[in-house]
Amino acid sequence: MNEQISALIDDEIALEDAAHLMAAMQSNGHATEAWSHYHLIGDAMRGAATLSPGFKQKLMQKIELEPTALSPNAALINQGQVDTTQAGAQTLAVKSKLPATWSIAASLAAVTMVGYMVLQTQVSNDGAPVQVAQAENAQTAANLAVATEVTIPAEYLMAHQASAPTGSSYYIQAASYAK
Amino acid sequence: MRVLRFLLISLFGITTLTATLSAQAASDEDAWQILQKAAVAARALSYQGIFVCQSGQHSRSVQIKHLFNGQDEFSHNVVLDGAPREVLSRGGDLVIYNPKDEKVVIEKRRGQNMFPAILPTNLDAIKASYSLRAGEIERVADRQAQVLFLEPKDNLRYGYKFWVDIEYGLLLKSMMVNSKNEMMDSIAFNQLGLMNNVDLDWFKPKIDAQKRYVMEDEAPAQVDNNPSPHWMLNELPAGYHKVDQMLRTVNGKSFPVTHVIFSDGLASVSLFIEPMAKGVKPRVGRSVVGNTSFYSNVAGFLQVTVLGEVPEATVAQIANAVVFVK
Repeated sequence: MNEQISALIDDEIALEDAAHLMAAMQSNGHATEAWSHYHLIGDAMRGAATLSPGFKQKLMQKIELEPTALSPNAALINQGQVDTTQAGAQTLAVKSKLPATWSIAASLAAVTMVGYMVLQTQVSNDGAPVQVAQAENAQTAANLAVATEVTIPAEYLMAHQASAPTGSSYYIQAASYAK
Repeated sequence: MRVLRFLLISLFGITTLTATLSAQAASDEDAWQILQKAAVAARALSYQGIFVCQSGQHSRSVQIKHLFNGQDEFSHNVVLDGAPREVLSRGGDLVIYNPKDEKVVIEKRRGQNMFPAILPTNLDAIKASYSLRAGEIERVADRQAQVLFLEPKDNLRYGYKFWVDIEYGLLLKSMMVNSKNEMMDSIAFNQLGLMNNVDLDWFKPKIDAQKRYVMEDEAPAQVDNNPSPHWMLNELPAGYHKVDQMLRTVNGKSFPVTHVIFSDGLASVSLFIEPMAKGVKPRVGRSVVGNTSFYSNVAGFLQVTVLGEVPEATVAQIANAVVFVK
């Protein structure tokens, strides 16, 4: 029976000849289960990724955490309140010292990041995340820029990996950080 | 009577305590011997297999063939996912075939710590900064492995969990963990066998006739023999010592940058020192991305940049150890 169901999914049995299979699946719990399992296996093998478990909850949590900021400064203060550790305080101190060009660079990085996310989600053929990513407007991007730490300059990372490689850096390159 | 009983009990207690302690010491010593054997086996055995490296969001499968013919060590590693990067090594000399767009760039490097040979054969430096204890027996790549925990003695380096093949003595899996025991990266065989054949017909890259092969533009680094540099180093973080110093070209810089490498035997940190260019804003900042920490600041007229696969405290200490000298 299971082999026949598998064959039906793979279009190896003509639909007209499968009337008995349809009937069996309607009456037989095992057959119904096999039908859905085989579809799931097929999806997984074709790489049609489904969303991770708890995707909705995680997304809602992230949205909750986003500061309702009208200006980047407000976001900075919000973040300072949440992050009261010493490291957080240091980050804040460093950030407040950063020249204006840094935040422009960081904004650019954030916009690139959002663009990348859009691209990524479009690859997975699912409508919902694309809409979410597109809904990220310039304001959110600005908030993101404030939260972003200094990125590691790729040229130094590459130099480090070239002269002092460790374990995986022989195979996983700095360029893949930059991407 | 009561005193006697008390003495007897304490004596018994002490005896059991010493017995446990010496058993512990013996097993620690055994563990170091297993690790020592793993360091040697990775270089002195001939084997082939497939391992997977994982770092942050990235993972790559790598096919390895390694041969020791009694004199020389040869290995051929091919990345199986994404661009077909290949690394051929003979002893510490590496040739990397790095596909970039329509070309394949041939790079020459030095390196002695490619998996599974990530451990130095002399473990003294590691013994100074880490402690080792044995864990359970676990199965990796269909083989029985002894688990070893290499734990840092301070917060200046990450810890490791090793799986060592009980029969071959080879390192089957290595996982780097932070102080919260979170995985920072890992490399693990998922298939491994010994090679009996000593011929070397496999020791060549897979040439892609469609692509142009070019040598890397220029020697990326040269010896730094400046007798009076405008900097000196104060106290380094415990366990780290300088292993190399060179002048190197860094992308986007018109002049060579001083590159100093520090190591504690396992972890490496790079320090870059360059004069601040006029009109260029000094870079001050820090970040941690995956297993890599980064810290940059300014010492006098020098821009200091430090990064490595170590905790943030280590890169910060090294950056702050640089002093400007007129």
